[in-house]
Amino acid sequence: MASSSPTDGWELVENHFYRKIQSYTGLWEEDPLDLSEYLVAAAPYGGALALYRTDTEPRAYRGTQQKPSIDLYTCSGKPIRKLPWDKGVVKGLGWSDDEKLLVITADGKVRCYHDLQGDFSQFTLGYGTETHGVRDVRFWSSGFVALTGDNRLIAVSRYDEPRPRLLADPEVPQETPIHSWAIVPPAYTLSRHVEVFLAVEKTIYIVDQTEVQNQMMDQGPFLHISVSPNGNLTALYSESERVWVVSTDFQNKWSEVDVGMGGTHPIDMVWCSNDSVVLAWQDEVQMMGPNGIALRYFYDDRVHVLPDVDGVKLLSGGKLEFLQKVPDILEEIFRIGSTSPASVLLDAIDQLEKESPKADDDIQLIRQQLPEAVNSCIQAAGYEFNVHWQKQLLKAASFGKSVLELYNSDEFVEMTETLRVLNAVRYYEVGMPLTYDQYLRLTPEKLIERLLNRQQHLFALRISEYLHLATAPKIYIHWACLKVRHSSLPEDEICRTIVDKLSSQPGISFEEVARTAFNEGRGHLATQLLNYEPRAGKQVPLLLSMEEDDIALDKAIESGDTDLIQFVLMHLKKKLPLAQFFRVVNPRPVAYSLIESEARQDDRELLKDLYYQDDRRADGAYVVLEEALMADELPKELDKLSLTTKLLSDSKLHLVDAAAISEFSALLTFQENLERILASPYLHLSLNDTALQLLKQNHSTQANKLKSEFKIPDTTYTYLRLRAWIHRRDWPAIEEYSIKNKKSPIGWVPFFEELANAKQPKVAALFVEKCGGAPRERMERWERIGMVVEACKVAIQVGDWAAVEELKVKLKNEGERREVERLVEGKKRR
Amino acid sequence: MAPLEGLNTSYLKDQSLKKLLNLLEGVRGKKSLVLDRALSGSVGLIAKFSTLQDYGVDTIFWLQDGVIEHTKLQKNVVVLCNATSRNARLVAAQVQANSTIPGGEFEHSVFLVPRRTLVFEKILEEQGVLGDVTIGEYPLYFIPLEPDLLSLELESSFEELYLRKDYTSIFYSAKALMELQQKFGLFPRIIGKGDLAWKLAETLMRMRNEVVVDEGLGPLDLAPSSIIENIVIIERGVDPVTPLLTQLTYEGLIDETFGIKHSKVELDPTIIGAGPTPAPNAASSSSNTPITTTATKKRTVNLDSSDTLYEELRDTNFTVVGNILNKIALRLSADYEGRHQAKTVTEIRQFVSKLSGLQQEHASLKVHTGMAEEITKTTRSDFFNKCLEVQQNLAAGSDPSSQNGSISELMMRGTPVETVLRLLTLESVLCNGLRPKDLDNFKREVRHAYGHQHILTLDALEKMGLLLPKHPASLARTNYNTVRKNLNLIVDEVNEQDPDDIAYVYSGYAPLSIRLVQCVVQKDALGLAGSKGKGHVTGGSGWRGFEEAIRGVGGRTFDEIQSGEDKAVRARMILNGYNERKLTVVFFLGGCTFTEIAALRFLAKKDAGKREILICTTGIINGDKMMKAAIPNLKH
Repeated sequence: MASSSPTDGWELVENHFYRKIQSYTGLWEEDPLDLSEYLVAAAPYGGALALYRTDTEPRAYRGTQQKPSIDLYTCSGKPIRKLPWDKGVVKGLGWSDDEKLLVITADGKVRCYHDLQGDFSQFTLGYGTETHGVRDVRFWSSGFVALTGDNRLIAVSRYDEPRPRLLADPEVPQETPIHSWAIVPPAYTLSRHVEVFLAVEKTIYIVDQTEVQNQMMDQGPFLHISVSPNGNLTALYSESERVWVVSTDFQNKWSEVDVGMGGTHPIDMVWCSNDSVVLAWQDEVQMMGPNGIALRYFYDDRVHVLPDVDGVKLLSGGKLEFLQKVPDILEEIFRIGSTSPASVLLDAIDQLEKESPKADDDIQLIRQQLPEAVNSCIQAAGYEFNVHWQKQLLKAASFGKSVLELYNSDEFVEMTETLRVLNAVRYYEVGMPLTYDQYLRLTPEKLIERLLNRQQHLFALRISEYLHLATAPKIYIHWACLKVRHSSLPEDEICRTIVDKLSSQPGISFEEVARTAFNEGRGHLATQLLNYEPRAGKQVPLLLSMEEDDIALDKAIESGDTDLIQFVLMHLKKKLPLAQFFRVVNPRPVAYSLIESEARQDDRELLKDLYYQDDRRADGAYVVLEEALMADELPKELDKLSLTTKLLSDSKLHLVDAAAISEFSALLTFQENLERILASPYLHLSLNDTALQLLKQNHSTQANKLKSEFKIPDTTYTYLRLRAWIHRRDWPAIEEYSIKNKKSPIGWVPFFEELANAKQPKVAALFVEKCGGAPRERMERWERIGMVVEACKVAIQVGDWAAVEELKVKLKNEGERREVERLVEGKKRR
Repeated sequence: MAPLEGLNTSYLKDQSLKKLLNLLEGVRGKKSLVLDRALSGSVGLIAKFSTLQDYGVDTIFWLQDGVIEHTKLQKNVVVLCNATSRNARLVAAQVQANSTIPGGEFEHSVFLVPRRTLVFEKILEEQGVLGDVTIGEYPLYFIPLEPDLLSLELESSFEELYLRKDYTSIFYSAKALMELQQKFGLFPRIIGKGDLAWKLAETLMRMRNEVVVDEGLGPLDLAPSSIIENIVIIERGVDPVTPLLTQLTYEGLIDETFGIKHSKVELDPTIIGAGPTPAPNAASSSSNTPITTTATKKRTVNLDSSDTLYEELRDTNFTVVGNILNKIALRLSADYEGRHQAKTVTEIRQFVSKLSGLQQEHASLKVHTGMAEEITKTTRSDFFNKCLEVQQNLAAGSDPSSQNGSISELMMRGTPVETVLRLLTLESVLCNGLRPKDLDNFKREVRHAYGHQHILTLDALEKMGLLLPKHPASLARTNYNTVRKNLNLIVDEVNEQDPDDIAYVYSGYAPLSIRLVQCVVQKDALGLAGSKGKGHVTGGSGWRGFEEAIRGVGGRTFDEIQSGEDKAVRARMILNGYNERKLTVVFFLGGCTFTEIAALRFLAKKDAGKREILICTTGIINGDKMMKAAIPNLKH
């Protein structure tokens, strides 16, 4: 093929070249559209076009009234779908980065079409838009801002869970016109939230969520504002036909240009990538460089300028063109007279094809920069649209790398693969004029998604396999969902086809397919498909909507996810009568305990019902006991306690517990009485503590009464008395007790211990011998209270001379030592 | 403490902090943070209060009963809470209250830990506030307390698992472990003991399949790890004895005496001196937050390995702590004396540069001496020794009836209820229940000594299987009579100075849980017939050699191999290198004690160079906490 020059359509603007490429021609050939009647929006990254015919201008009668619709086309003009539209005036038509179509009506309704096939979700903006109306809308990659009739701004920043938020009030009266406005997407602002520029009177307001800032300019009014794709620069077009390019923070002015078209203002102003500004009139497009208008293109009819990330699309009269700055790498190779290594390498391949020895001369010439040249050729191939030149560049790269001894070909292989995909999707039947940059930004996975939205499953699968992507399951699922939706085959057969195709694939979620089937009213098919879903948890919500309650609960339990189980239980509890609810829950222990534990926290009545129907008397009674303990006044508490006793007495198994509760009531009554008589707090002390408290305060009559009434054992009581004496430091009482009683119910050791702990050696000494025990124990006790001499006496008495020697060291003074010596002598003598 | 060579866990903290700050950044401007009390500790471990301030948090409130007055709140209200129904209702109440304020225009964001739940949203929906709230999630699972210790810090997991039979913590544990697997590869072998442990293993294995579907992973993305050899899952219910005994390591005793919370302990200044006020962090109060401690100002001491002295002391038996402190005191004073030797200016400068390190060490020495003294007061008391005597007699298998008198006496003397209940449950668990007559007597004595509300406590303990009437050994969860012998739980000669067996942590009792781990990773140390596996076996040899010995331990025994495609396994080996050093993950479901951590570190040290151990747990537990789970928490 004799090919055109690679620099066809290149035009020099200042120091750089721009090129305009014809992406597609012959759009709407059979049925030409008058684009001036239409609102046009193009999805980013070569995505679909949405066209909506506006009613603002009179137009030629076209026979019978057509139903209004929003029409979706590929960039090559192939119809994708007609979305019927009867919701009134459209004020905003735009796309998100993931090719969701957003339609905003004058009365504040928003529709978000998820795929290109007409599935949508809907929400309203609120904040009075129903009455004031929406004037205009601006979109960014994942959200939009609406300007309302009363000059307020509403932002929506996500579409999966839309939450319209009112931005700060610019306080512009309703009558004051807003000349133009623009938004800075959240990714490019300091606050990471969307900001809005409003051109009001002669100045510009910057509005964000919390504040409004007046820039105090006087060059306005500004009829157009446009923010560059990377958010760094802002272009302003004023009534005086001048264009300013300033930094987005309005601190620096980069250029100021007089456009001067004699009073006709452009209808649109957009950025072409981040390098230049494009102004559009009805049938004329001008591109402005830093020093003034540089390029003019004229058209026969209305031209729509549709910005994309790295250039602008120009749509007019059945032609779609793409205007962009020529990528540096292409410029470096193809510029006339270029001597860059890559350019020389390209020449070499030319010479090689002519079988000329000059090819080798070329190689020798750039020997040093050969790796660089190869890389440049590979990169350049990516940016080139013409297949012939792509091939030439790749051939050059291939030739160059064959000369190199060591070269990693990954990049080369990757580029050939990428180009194959790019050329395939650019083909007019598919109609996605993706540039290499756009492809990199879009990512192959998202490209697959877009193909799925166009129902190109086989194509998507091929690309997915070709590029070794992990998107195959997604493609199969999408396919299966469509099958479920549109197939007219018998359900069993559909199920078989789907399962045949999908079961060979790992990681397939049948839940999504089953849900689609269910939404289509194919309940049986849904159940069948759901059985193939590997994730138990995923089946639950669908099963619930299918009213398969029992299975849903079982699957939730199987998943082990308590949140799911609880969710099902909440659902069932609301739906079923209580008795039936319990019938479902009873045989499932996991669910049962969850209900029990949940009810314990915040639904005690349910808890009682649960225990009652399950015949868990004691547990039911204990719930009442808990209530008694939490009661705020005594009569209520006693009432609850007697109820507890009654419930427990119903069964022979719990008589002991019932008695314990009665005892509790009696104790409380006793304590209440004490409080009355003694005017000090006794309620809710334990039985032992009550006695202890009485003994501490020396109310022995009451204590004795308590002891006999509640049968406190002597052992315990003696201990309590001892503790009370120690507390009161009533040593004489202890002495008296020890004299009066030969034996104590708890023996004498505790007396000694408590006294020793209380550091009362003198009193404790009374008990050492009473405690008895082996001589060594006695020695230890004496020693513990510091009476080493006594310890020695014991040791001497039993003739434990080793112990005597050990103890001697601990004697305090000479006197003691002498005494011990004397005793030892005495013993030995005897 | 140096990070594990095989697996550096510090990324977890960074990751959690980053996620938290990202969430805060998402809400513009100044904000009020409403924090779930249950999370304060975990958040405190992740972020300092000053960091939160840098991200616009101006005040912190607790999420609790009663609505926070709107005048105190910023327009942006950020709630960070666990995804419980109770919290959902509290959040709903606050949002409802705020929305009635004319001109309030509050923006509410709720971040749920560790994930968004259907139930939470459902409750907000029912209360009619779902539309007014932005809901997000804060996936906080494992928190590294130390490089070798990851905790979920789920404080009530023991109560939920054994009393409420609510298995949420199993699911969360599985999630957390799955995250580890996604980062470091599948555990080649999942070994474990206990029915709930098996439930966790099952959930984990199912989750593996689900993750593949959810995230569209290829076979290469989830291959068996070449770093981790295996995971041993031990369920608390299999070995309740270990936490019921009084821990005798330094760290264990600090926990028993003062209670360690999130690696921190609050002490009365009289014990350790007032000291400098620690930098306020997210959890602790600060003068400009409305949260103020009403009690006497306590001093918070961080107990982690950044304190080198503590690092040295924490895992030793308490009997040797005094000696070590002594030695260090001597060395320190010698170091200080060094200043007299410093003659030339350079020498003086050298000394001064060391000075801040010395001062730090000095301060730490002061703190630990204070604590050790305070603990010694307890350990010298006859209460403590009586308890210890009863515990050790029971553990050794002596006739329980001989111990009953001592337990009764402790009650009469007014010992704290938890201590007594620990002894009773210990007897029940070790001896397959109490004689019915004894049980009735004890129950009466507990009621009389501590109040009749403990009817509920005793009932709860029975439900947890911790306090039961006599039952045949075959029905017991774990039959200690056989296990004691088979696994050599009682070691008579313990060298506390220079231990040669894990039994040093209880001065003579080796924790069953750790013996089980030894059955898997250190077979020869048990000196029993553990046949050695020949050649390279995936993930070690599991329980092999000990199948008989562990028969008496309750619950299901399992040993599952997670395989992947050969290609993937090889690829991973090439990527990470095949290292001889093995790493075992030990996961405690239902919590572990400081003694168990000490024992595992002891094991790892013995195998240094060959094996590392990463300890993971749902939380830190001790006997008192187990008992508190049973004691009803009632407001009067």
